[in-house]
Amino acid sequence: MGQIPASYLMNRLVTLSLTVFIAATLIWIIPRLSPVDPADIMLGRMAAGAGSVANSEEILAQLRANFGLDDPLILQYLKYLWNTLTFNFGLSTASFPTPVSSLIAAALPWTLGLMILSLVITFVIGNLLGALMVWERSPKLVKVAIPAAMVFTSIPPILSGLLLMWIFSAKLRWFPLTGAYGLTVEPGWSWDFVQSVLYHGFLPAMSIVIVTFGFWALGMRGLMITVQGEDYTKLAEAKGLKPRYILYKYMIRNAILPQITAFALKIGLLVAGQVLVERIFAYNGMGKLLYDAILDQDFPVIQGVSFVIILMTALAVFVVDLVYPLIDPRIRHERVSA
Amino acid sequence: MTASIEPTPTAAEARKTARQMRRFDNPWLNPKLFWGAGLLLGIVALGILGRIFWDPDLVFTGSAMLKLPPVGFENLRGQAGTLANPLGTDGGGRDVLALLIIGAPNSLFVGVLASLIGMGLGIFLGFTAGFVGGRTDDVIRVLSDVMITIPPLLILVVFQSAFGDVSLTMMAFLIAGFVWQSPTRLIRAQVLSMRESGYVQMARLSGASTFHIMFREMLPNLVPYLFGSFIANVTTSIVTAVGLEVLGLGPQRIPTLGRTIYEAINAGALIQNLWWWWGIPTALLAVMFIGLLLINLGLDEVSNPRLRKLS
Amino acid sequence: MTSPVLTLKDLSIDFPTPTGLVHAVRDVSLTIQSGRRVGFIGESGSGKTTTALAIMRMLAEPGRVAGGSIALGRDQTDVLSLDEEAMRKTRLSRVSYIPQGAMNSLNPVMRIENQLWDGIVAHEGKTDPGELKRRSDAALASVGLPAHTGRLYPHELSGGMKQRVCIALGVILTPELIIADEPTSALDVVTQRHVMQTLTKVQAEIGSGLILIGHDMGLMAQSVDELAVLKDGELVEHGLTRQIIESPEHPYTQELIHSVPLVGGESFLSPAIGAPSSQKSSAEPLLEFREVSKVYGANTALHPMSFALDGTVPQIISIVGQSGSGKSTMGSLMLGFNAPTSGEVLFEGKDVSRLSPAERLHFRKDVQAVFQDPYACFNPFYRVNHALKFPYERFGLSKGAADTQRAMEDACVAVGLDPDLILGRYPHQLSGGQRQRLIVARALMLQPKLLIADEPVSMVDASLRATILKNIYDLKDRYGISILYITHDLATAYHVSDYVIVLYHGSVAEAGPPKEVIGAPRHPYTQLLIDSIPWPDMNRSWGTSRSADDDVLALKKMAEERKTIFRGEVDGFTLRSFAA
Repeated sequence: MGQIPASYLMNRLVTLSLTVFIAATLIWIIPRLSPVDPADIMLGRMAAGAGSVANSEEILAQLRANFGLDDPLILQYLKYLWNTLTFNFGLSTASFPTPVSSLIAAALPWTLGLMILSLVITFVIGNLLGALMVWERSPKLVKVAIPAAMVFTSIPPILSGLLLMWIFSAKLRWFPLTGAYGLTVEPGWSWDFVQSVLYHGFLPAMSIVIVTFGFWALGMRGLMITVQGEDYTKLAEAKGLKPRYILYKYMIRNAILPQITAFALKIGLLVAGQVLVERIFAYNGMGKLLYDAILDQDFPVIQGVSFVIILMTALAVFVVDLVYPLIDPRIRHERVSA
Repeated sequence: MTASIEPTPTAAEARKTARQMRRFDNPWLNPKLFWGAGLLLGIVALGILGRIFWDPDLVFTGSAMLKLPPVGFENLRGQAGTLANPLGTDGGGRDVLALLIIGAPNSLFVGVLASLIGMGLGIFLGFTAGFVGGRTDDVIRVLSDVMITIPPLLILVVFQSAFGDVSLTMMAFLIAGFVWQSPTRLIRAQVLSMRESGYVQMARLSGASTFHIMFREMLPNLVPYLFGSFIANVTTSIVTAVGLEVLGLGPQRIPTLGRTIYEAINAGALIQNLWWWWGIPTALLAVMFIGLLLINLGLDEVSNPRLRKLS
Repeated sequence: MTSPVLTLKDLSIDFPTPTGLVHAVRDVSLTIQSGRRVGFIGESGSGKTTTALAIMRMLAEPGRVAGGSIALGRDQTDVLSLDEEAMRKTRLSRVSYIPQGAMNSLNPVMRIENQLWDGIVAHEGKTDPGELKRRSDAALASVGLPAHTGRLYPHELSGGMKQRVCIALGVILTPELIIADEPTSALDVVTQRHVMQTLTKVQAEIGSGLILIGHDMGLMAQSVDELAVLKDGELVEHGLTRQIIESPEHPYTQELIHSVPLVGGESFLSPAIGAPSSQKSSAEPLLEFREVSKVYGANTALHPMSFALDGTVPQIISIVGQSGSGKSTMGSLMLGFNAPTSGEVLFEGKDVSRLSPAERLHFRKDVQAVFQDPYACFNPFYRVNHALKFPYERFGLSKGAADTQRAMEDACVAVGLDPDLILGRYPHQLSGGQRQRLIVARALMLQPKLLIADEPVSMVDASLRATILKNIYDLKDRYGISILYITHDLATAYHVSDYVIVLYHGSVAEAGPPKEVIGAPRHPYTQLLIDSIPWPDMNRSWGTSRSADDDVLALKKMAEERKTIFRGEVDGFTLRSFAA
């Protein structure tokens, strides 16, 4: 396979680093613009909630260091950037003195696992169904049933999560209500644990899949209609190719390309949706960590989690962008022929 | 595709095709648009009529008995629903119907306002990028590429944790900061292709000003796209707002559907089988999203005639 | 020894529409013998492509065969009774299809050789890779493409190469019948000749029948043995090509033959006596290029060129060239849409790129244009009046709404349109020909001093071309407007112009009065162009495929030489090319 043009790679790298840089900067600036001192709010609320705050001296010192009240502004900013890029987000105020990075390290694999699973399932199923809606030889059922199911595609996963949880966990008790694995199993590479993880992950993943596959199906349907009208599809039929071969190698193969671009643009929103689903299911991922931090006003954790999720999104987009030229030869040659 | 000898179509089928063809002539008259607009107008009507015919003060804590079920149902304590609170009450004794009457229009308001501001920014930046070109174009293009990657929810979480309470309008403005990217990209791409089109060249030959070309020649043709982008942004904005509310952020003192769901989950409404508390707001939000989706599908058919054949 | 490869008997095809059944093809009967080339000629909507698609059983929905039979090959297989799988196997192996629009006919994400292989595998099952490679290389070689082409992707090939790949595909399984649907419609004349010669060569080699679908009587005359003339779904005339060209019986056939403009022969124009003088107001030349060049990145679109068009006596200057010659770049420089890389474009002595806003408005009024694509020239959002009314009012020509309305109506009448039927309609309700005439009417309303006509007739139906050219010619003849006619068509340039400039790769190849340049060309490029034009003349040789290969080499050499041949002067126009 051909290699990716250097200019294309540069372009994507610039976008990636700018995304990370802008996100980090926003996360730094926002608390500084606030008319209220976040440290005050936090301590105030904690004091109001618990009556007294243990380690309050240390926490205050830690907050000072975090918000860098002693250095000149530019130095604070540079220090912060360096710390952020080295994943040093300071110490959690709620579970003092645990470093934020170790909290994140514990939660991240769960979120990543759920994300990759649900994104891949929904993308594959959605595009396949969308393609079948257009294909002449699909069973009638596909063409009637899918558009009807599509009505639910606009609903955010948080709402479908609530519904699934109520039906299958609260009412039918088929699935657990909360958590990423059972309380009775030891985390490790045992079959029991894996089973438990799959059992707990099923509903959160489903609540994302059932409301997002339709987006891809709809997009694919439009693209397939376009591709169906293309001359190369007509010629493929005139070549006497087998219908299934035409569907895969001519139609889906071409229609999927813009879908992959759309995928890169959509990752951000999908990840945000997933964070909320994790919060409902109290899944041991970043969503729960973020929610608990909001409840506890644990500002360093909020900052750290937000940054890591944005970084994850930007990296996912970057990977998709890198894969794209491998499947579309036109990009590979763009610069060469120009 | 494949031709085969088929029986002559019956008169009924012919009438059906005729009806489809008429729709083909005026794409704005399609059932999806009607249904979608109908659902949204229903929610607006609920907000307006509700304030007239129902007591909005029932949204306050303790205005009724706690955890009452809707009419025709019984709660775990064996209490039956009453007409005084037809959709039941929540854990704080607030009337669910009143919550809907106040909350649903709030969600729509945030979505529409954020999307309007985002559209305004998008139109401005898209036209600027497409017309000015060069460096300006590069900056706008890269910036929208970058901002489209960042999930708005997370930046807003940081913002609201730092700022504490926000008003509905403030929240709309914040969300607007994240929904200008897609209209910008869309308009930029369209402007770049339209710039070379015959009728824009004709307008230039006719001595038209840049202003005239942008707003009289290009903008009218962008309407279906802009409309589609607007509706998609309303959806994104409401999803983001609801997401914030479910995390316990967003306006703290104003009843919103998302906040109601937040309180329901926190109070364990799912386990206690208080389905009306979280279920009715969820259902109403679902109706809102379905309405928006239908409008968007209808608009797709307006701007992409090829889709019409299948529907 | 010949045998029939296709027999159509009373073939009828219907399309149900809301307004009733449309009979796209009615009772067409025809037999094609093996090794014979048959042309299906007619305008769009005549049913020629529909008939071909029916043979492939690939009619677009909701079309269907309403009656008659289609028998294919020596065993006269009844195509309409085959089941899906048998029909699939028949395609390509017994009847192949070479589509229109080669630009998009190949799968953009698949290598060329894979697109040849999948055709073989679909009919012969799993085949040894070495054998596949050998056969695809042989097929490519038969259409004059080197073996390494197979490793490329479609976007790396030129239009002519793509069309030749489609031909290679069409013959790879040696079918009994090849259907070629306007295979050269998007190509320039030199490439067109090359592709057509390749097609007829490989068709003769495998001895199959050929159906060539087209609308150009010249192309037909140069390439097919028999002609079938279709009009409104009916076969109006069928016979040997020579017989039909030399003594057409049906009036429609006669019209088709006469609509092909010829170099030499009688003109379709009738110049007015006592043409008015121009409305020129300045002593400076109307339009002047001073060492103008235009470079896009690494590509020089136009080499430095100087000319001056005096404009005291209205004239038509033709700029002739193929795509990429720089002729459209010249047009856009003249209109001030593009700034030159070096040199100056002057209108009445003023640099076009340095006009004050007031001067610019005057310049816009004085220099108008007619573009190639009449479909794109109207904003789909407005009624067509907008395109006429807006500039009229903008340039301050209007003396009120009634005056504007009258001016629009007069202009419509002047170009032969009925204002009551045209004005107030939306663009999509008008045909391409009507729209283009309306654009001419617009130019007429504004009374410019100079009109740039950039390929004004290349996208309208052949039968209307002469009428529209006549309308444009009248602008000079009756209204005293000087015209720059930009075209790829030497035959029309021959008739309308006072002076012809032949452009090749951004520099002037040959220039002078049309009788010299086009009537008796001296530059090899002009000669090649004229040789490549297909004419409805059975006695003219159109070259062989060997000569076409030589042409490509010769063209490369000419692009490097950049030699200019001047063929004489005319009053009011001076050209200096700084090429070489």
